[in-house]
Amino acid sequence: MSSPAKNSTESQLSSDIEYAPYDDRTQSLRLIDRYPRSFTRNPSRPLILRPLTLSERTGPTELEARLPIGDGDLSCAVAGGPRAMGQLISVSGHVTDEDGAPLTGAVIEIWQANAAGKYVHELDRHEAPIDPHFIGEGRLVTDAEGQYQFRSIKPGAYPVMESDWWWRPPHIHFSIFGPTWMNRFVTQIFFPGEPLNESDLLFNGVPDLEARQRLMLQPQPTTVGSFNILKFRQDFVMRGKRATPALD
Amino acid sequence: MTPTPYSTIGPFFPGQFAAGCEDLTVLHGKRARGQHILLAGSVLEEGNVPVRNAIVEIWQPDAGGVFRHPLDLRYAQADPGFFGWGRYRTDAQGRYRFRTVMPGRASNGNGALRWPHVNLMVLAIGVTRRLVTTAFFADTPETVDDPVFGCVPDPAARRRLITIRDHALDAEGLPAYRFDLILRGENETPFFLD
Repeated sequence: MSSPAKNSTESQLSSDIEYAPYDDRTQSLRLIDRYPRSFTRNPSRPLILRPLTLSERTGPTELEARLPIGDGDLSCAVAGGPRAMGQLISVSGHVTDEDGAPLTGAVIEIWQANAAGKYVHELDRHEAPIDPHFIGEGRLVTDAEGQYQFRSIKPGAYPVMESDWWWRPPHIHFSIFGPTWMNRFVTQIFFPGEPLNESDLLFNGVPDLEARQRLMLQPQPTTVGSFNILKFRQDFVMRGKRATPALD
Repeated sequence: MTPTPYSTIGPFFPGQFAAGCEDLTVLHGKRARGQHILLAGSVLEEGNVPVRNAIVEIWQPDAGGVFRHPLDLRYAQADPGFFGWGRYRTDAQGRYRFRTVMPGRASNGNGALRWPHVNLMVLAIGVTRRLVTTAFFADTPETVDDPVFGCVPDPAARRRLITIRDHALDAEGLPAYRFDLILRGENETPFFLD
């Protein structure tokens, strides 16, 4: 039988494990060579370890009742309207925690450039054309199995106007609301086989090769029929619930 | 399985995603209980240069100290007029402003209470992993009795976690509390390991 004191220590320990700090090796570097903004916008002092109380271990729920959720089709500006220019794609996958348990009702926000590498955004100075049939943003929610799916067009590459050499490879931005403040998550995913992947500062900013590859869309077997679309898979693992073996 | 790698939001986060998320005082037509306040400030990078187009998100308990989340034992008593989460895209001067409520003292999940606080996170170009911190409401740092506040070793840094009652920012008849997010520099905001 364990003493009450031991029990309280264990419960503290298990709550700490649930959201262990991210492993730096499998996450993006904070300071990235030749990415000047990273050197002016990240703290110079060490990040401070804090206890995780109820405040950090809760987070917004029922977001789907607060934020408008779209129909999962970014390939046209209005439902049933003309399709945007570019290669039609579909992306689907699971959102799970670190134990593989599906995260149901996770809100996912997506944004991307059009096929010409242009965003519908007032700060985009690239001279590429806007596509009137493409907005490039959408919001989804995962189903009971933690699955999401959306349709879009393959984004184009574009130059980073603040640099004199850097072209971003085609990529899609994801913002995901896990169930708590600790798994609020943002990333970018990439297309396999793109030459620009090799020089991209952000893709290569993840030191661990295996972890980096998890930002790469997985092509699915192709099919040809009455409706034709290139399919990709992308799974996401949110921090949380690293189950430890029972102690007794 | 280790978590998927984080990345920056980059320059083109859709403004539409932040639209309407700056007001936390109304939910489904119901008005939030408690003292309504403005939580406002600037996001600054090295050299105190304003960061425009940054995304600031907040998460906090309601005026009664309850989180709208099933892990809170008082979940059933959560204010039906208060959502607890907000988002703001900083303007050309790097400013953000939320309309929210003065948070109550929340449970820390362990039998004790947290000091009134708001959790904040910053996303921006160059920020490859979100930066998280916490703003506290107090007249003097000495009065703050809080396990997260207490983790910041440097007293000068700790002081920067306390909002400043700033009459110059008052608007719409609401008292403003200033909390600048200084990402890097001599006077940088303390950020927590994430």
